[in-house]
Amino acid sequence: MNPITPIINGLKITLSHLFKKPVTLQYPTERPKVAQRFRGLHALNVSHNKAKCVACYLCPTVCPAKCITVEAGEDANHDKYAARYEIDMLRCIFCGYCVEACPVDAIRMTGEFELANYRRQDFVYSKERLLEKK
Amino acid sequence: MVNLTIDDKQVTAPKSATIYEAAKINGIKIPILCHDKKLKPFGACRMCLVEVEQMKGRQIPACTTPVTDGMIIRTSTPDIIKARKMVLELLLLNHPIDCPVCDKGGDCDLQNLTYEYQVNANRFSDEKFHHEIDYSNPLIERDMNRCVLCGKCARICDEIVSFGALTFISRGIETKIGCEFEGSLNCEFCGSCVSVCPVGSLLARPFKFKARFWALTNQKSVCSYCGTGCNLTLGVKDNKVLTTVYDENQGFHNGQLCCRGRFGYQFINSDKRLTTPLVRKGGALMEASWDEALELVATRLRGAGASAAALATPRLTNEELLLFKKLMEAAGSANYDHSAGYAHAALTKGFARSFGATASPSTILDIQKSDLLLVIKTDSYETHPVIGFEINMAVKNKGAKLNILSDKRGKLSKLPDAKTFVHTPGSEIAVINSLAKAILDEKLAAGSAVSIPGYADLEKALAGFTPDAVAVQSGLSAAAIKQLASDYAKAEKALIIFPVGNAYPGHNADMASAVANLALLTGKLGTEGSGVLCMAEKNNSQGAVDMGFYATSGLQAGQIMDGCASGAIKTLFLAGENPVVSYPNRAVVTTALDKVEFLVVSDLFMTETAAMADVVLPACSFAEKEGTFTSVDRRVQHIKPAIRKVGQSRTDFEIFSTLIAKLGGQAPAAPAAVFGEIAASAPGYAGMSYAALGETGAFAPVDITPAFVVPKTVAVEPAAGKLALVIGSVLYHNGTLSQFGEGPMYVCPEGYVELSRGDAAKLNVAENDLLNVTSAAGSTKLKARISSRMPEGVLFSPYHFGAAEINRVWSGAPVTWVTVTK
Repeated sequence: MNPITPIINGLKITLSHLFKKPVTLQYPTERPKVAQRFRGLHALNVSHNKAKCVACYLCPTVCPAKCITVEAGEDANHDKYAARYEIDMLRCIFCGYCVEACPVDAIRMTGEFELANYRRQDFVYSKERLLEKK
Repeated sequence: MVNLTIDDKQVTAPKSATIYEAAKINGIKIPILCHDKKLKPFGACRMCLVEVEQMKGRQIPACTTPVTDGMIIRTSTPDIIKARKMVLELLLLNHPIDCPVCDKGGDCDLQNLTYEYQVNANRFSDEKFHHEIDYSNPLIERDMNRCVLCGKCARICDEIVSFGALTFISRGIETKIGCEFEGSLNCEFCGSCVSVCPVGSLLARPFKFKARFWALTNQKSVCSYCGTGCNLTLGVKDNKVLTTVYDENQGFHNGQLCCRGRFGYQFINSDKRLTTPLVRKGGALMEASWDEALELVATRLRGAGASAAALATPRLTNEELLLFKKLMEAAGSANYDHSAGYAHAALTKGFARSFGATASPSTILDIQKSDLLLVIKTDSYETHPVIGFEINMAVKNKGAKLNILSDKRGKLSKLPDAKTFVHTPGSEIAVINSLAKAILDEKLAAGSAVSIPGYADLEKALAGFTPDAVAVQSGLSAAAIKQLASDYAKAEKALIIFPVGNAYPGHNADMASAVANLALLTGKLGTEGSGVLCMAEKNNSQGAVDMGFYATSGLQAGQIMDGCASGAIKTLFLAGENPVVSYPNRAVVTTALDKVEFLVVSDLFMTETAAMADVVLPACSFAEKEGTFTSVDRRVQHIKPAIRKVGQSRTDFEIFSTLIAKLGGQAPAAPAAVFGEIAASAPGYAGMSYAALGETGAFAPVDITPAFVVPKTVAVEPAAGKLALVIGSVLYHNGTLSQFGEGPMYVCPEGYVELSRGDAAKLNVAENDLLNVTSAAGSTKLKARISSRMPEGVLFSPYHFGAAEINRVWSGAPVTWVTVTK
């Protein structure tokens, strides 16, 4: 092959890009659209003004990273509810098994990906923080 | 043995086995919901259907069909699987599918079978039940909507516990399990029903919603309350003991437990546990380092000689007790004791002189092999409930006769054909002597008795104890005494059972000798099902006796208290003992502890006694340490830590070994080494090792050199216008430790005084009235409890409660005469 041809081919590609819309996003002024199936920060679903979670302990059981802590409590009607629900995002591997295991559709994964923080304790998401996500 | 074929496999099984049992023995699993190996076959759930060729291939329940020779059985043909699937579909028709919120999820037989048989849909439809859920009880929650009517709860409550709190109510589709008049559960709360429930109908409330079954780590252990030596499985999660797990294959009792064994574990993770050493500075107990606290103790003990004394709770392990003894020897003192030398004199002194051994010659296993049980004090059920279950089963299943000699009636009196002989308090030794006299008079004594040393002396000494003479003082009729004597002597195998402990001052060395005389006279000793079983109170009382942790050359517990008061004892080391509450005569004990110069207490909790101490050392519970416990029948069992130590607490083993080192001695490094020493030196323990103990433990044999000893009797003079107060144990508590177990405290939260209906009417007292109980020693206020089991003129009060202060009234005499006013 002519040794010049590959160089020309390469330059063609470069040249064509000069006339295309750039792929770079001007983050944070421009924000990406995350896919429906993206596995971001967890959220606890709400029904009848309270978390749907019944503290069945299936998510901490299935979690391969052992990052979920659930403690069940008994409410005034003797029903089971999650008195404590915590996810340690420093350990979480966003596998989504917790969502899959949940028998009552109480947990889902949101598109939220901006999880950087300054202190380790800020990575521990309590029930209150997980419920804030709509 | 019979030969049969199960699933094309040639197997053998005992003649008495059912098909289900034959399959189980041979490792073939047949699914079942209504079976427990302790219970009689019932055949309620229809899950265990199998095909038997000889029965024209019909499907029959395996759990109620006995095996016969040559049977050809198939356990899982397509037809059987189809039938089982339908049984599950029918059960799931009414059973709510609330597994995520049901605590039984993960440990549920119905859930497991539904999964195993892939019952994913239901061909039928019906309404779910709408029974009201019983939340009223603090220990047992009953949700009858989940019930599969296997009847295990009702059967265990009837067959083994003999309470009968639960039963089938209504018929047909309306059938459910309920309590009397469909009320709430009101029983002795042993939790046996909870343990056998295959679904989530009966749940342990203390464990409710705490964890899933699969998240628990199970650690086998031995119960730390009474001396029965029940085996436990502790369910541990996050370094906390969350529950006790039922295991039908555990121990002689097959996993059966009482209220405190099953629901009394909470003291292990109690928030009230001591976590740091405390040293008294300027009048108040302040936190200190271990070094500082132990150095202080060592300074006091160094060269203390006879001015130092020690009292230990018989809840310490054998190894710790031996080390404690070594510590006192290093300090130069022989003043050490536990309740054995004090309240367990029956063993240390009575049996020692009558049997030449300091242990019961019989075992718990003898109970079900006996023809006649002579139980002294109905309380033996309340002190050792699981031994009570054995008595229940011996009477109900094996047809053993039950005679009870007691100062009040109790649960055992309600057993079928039980005869209760109610004597006046304090006359028990005289009555037992009169039994011996009656046996001699009726020529019912065994021929071998004459050759036992002391026979002539005994014969002479018993002359005054004719049934007629004793009848007057004991309140029994002479005919009853003669009847009891001939029943006992004529039974082929007869066993005497009696409890001893802190609250049984009348059950002393003389009582043990009197009882021993009976057994020796009739030759009912040394054979299976015959003998004497003395039941010491705490989990390692027998071990403390075996380790020799009682006064031999030094002072006894009572004398140690006197020594503290007089100034002779300057340093007192209490390991786990709480004498302010558990010893008689509180005023004397508190004065003694006030006077003693230096008081060291190692305990789990800030008890009434620890609050008076100069140094308090936080000790570990049984769940945090390693060692051995010896049960009342000398079964030596090994325990291992289930959790890490709480706070800075240390085991008594570590405390004692550090102190020995500080005193210049050399302590063995680990409990295993000490156990080696025990195996080499303690009688009966020879050749034992941790490895050989395994999970079932080992019996330390008892060698007997019999001798007749004339027991001393003390005449108890009735005081005019006064009532006799007897102290004892209640079913839900054991010592003072169970006050820190939430379960027992839910059921029996405070001390009380129990009196007969007659006395209540005379004194114009109603249930729960606050009564002033006054004796020569002191006075206290207690709530009244009126019951039909008390004879007139007799009061009963449990001794476990610090706040009840019954030991202000109770002086340590077998009977305390009291006046009662409103």
